[in-house]
Amino acid sequence: MDITLIVDFFPKLISYLHITLLILVAAVAIGLVIGVVIALIRIYKVPGFNQLALIYISFMRGTPILIQLFLIYFGLPTLLALVHIDVSRANPLLFVAITYGLSCGASFAEIIRGAVNGVEKGQTEAAYSIGMNEKQMMVRIILPQALVMAFPNFANSVIGSLKDTSLAFTIGVMDMVGRGNTLIASSLHALEVYITLSIIYYGVVICLEKGFSLSEKKLQRFEGSLAVDTK
Amino acid sequence: MIQLRNIQKSFGNQLVLKGIDLTVNKGEVVSILGPSGSGKTTLLRCINFLERPNEGQVIVDDFKVNSKQANKKEILTLRKKTAMVFQQYNLFKHKTVIENVMEGLIIVQKQPKETARKLAMEVIEKVGLTEKANAYPVQLSGGQQQRVGIARALALNPEVILLDEPTSALDPELVFEVLEVIKRIADEGITMIIVTHEVSFAKDVSDYIVFMDQGEVVEEGIPTVIFNNPKEERTKRFFKRINREEDNLESNLTNAI
Repeated sequence: MDITLIVDFFPKLISYLHITLLILVAAVAIGLVIGVVIALIRIYKVPGFNQLALIYISFMRGTPILIQLFLIYFGLPTLLALVHIDVSRANPLLFVAITYGLSCGASFAEIIRGAVNGVEKGQTEAAYSIGMNEKQMMVRIILPQALVMAFPNFANSVIGSLKDTSLAFTIGVMDMVGRGNTLIASSLHALEVYITLSIIYYGVVICLEKGFSLSEKKLQRFEGSLAVDTK
Repeated sequence: MIQLRNIQKSFGNQLVLKGIDLTVNKGEVVSILGPSGSGKTTLLRCINFLERPNEGQVIVDDFKVNSKQANKKEILTLRKKTAMVFQQYNLFKHKTVIENVMEGLIIVQKQPKETARKLAMEVIEKVGLTEKANAYPVQLSGGQQQRVGIARALALNPEVILLDEPTSALDPELVFEVLEVIKRIADEGITMIIVTHEVSFAKDVSDYIVFMDQGEVVEEGIPTVIFNNPKEERTKRFFKRINREEDNLESNLTNAI
């Protein structure tokens, strides 16, 4: 093993970090929209859609993300070809974003639903008793608390997704791992490449965790303030 | 004036309210007493449709709602005329004391923020929590939280405040401060309907007592009559048991000392 190679590989690999982060941001953004919609469908048990949501969540949970990625990559063009839309030349990043977005959406939906159910029912009644309608109650009272409660699980899920993005190279996306593979091919030093990759991923995860835990403290001030104040 | 006409409510097959009629005049304080399971809390929750009655009418300040045809808009209008104080306080946990009180003023009554803030502060002062205005509910004792609950209801200036066992969840030493606040508000002429187990408090604060058992009103009248000369056997038995419990408590205390 040649440690100097790690120093050598580091800048080459980290210059592709933005692709990894781009996938993550796109996935989380798509996932949030899907997650909120699916969660509301599940909470209000919208007839018909509720069953579809259940199948969607159970499927995303029950299949590996790598398989989902291939399903979307090969399946979506085939499906769209039926309606004469040609996406065979589309950027593979698009398929990655859709797959990870769908995957995030499923876990976010369950996290949000759990948190909404976790807000005391009494507060719903209190909101109604002062004359709020259903929407005001949801938007002003329940969701703000639910999102705060959901935050730690949400953060875990985002970190999981970041690591999942390392599979994007399998459909030809040139992210850090993709670049790593080309480095391995040219240098024949696989171990050094993977050590460098692990350092970068680990560093990013540590930064994310730090950021999340800081925002968590800010968000949950109304829950933790007692402990803070008495000290 | 609040009027209930033939309010019936069942859960599944069980009829928990068997046609209740009740009239509460403006400025009156009415206490509903009765053993647990008598339907008194359900009756209170039927007044603002947190429970929808199966039958009957609720009339608040000339606004009449028929339980069978009531639509969302009517229920909302009814709720805007009433306010409720809950056994478990049910404060909005992510909002400070003043935000809890302002919420209904701004969101429901559409008052400008500054007016709402001023009004909220006045009410908060009335319940003696000026210094806690910016605290979150978790930072308050049960008694203080319930006083916020009362302030939140009072700020809305409703036709009637419905109090559902406001002191039942409190530690004994905190009951007094809450009862005192309720008493003070009662003296200001706010119309209130109180479901309570605090018999001596009810005697002290109420203009009118309703005694319920098994989903019906057994006896009603002014406190001196109901407490001193109850006519019905069930009422007599209830007060006898309550008195015995209090005596037992006292003798236990004496023994302990």
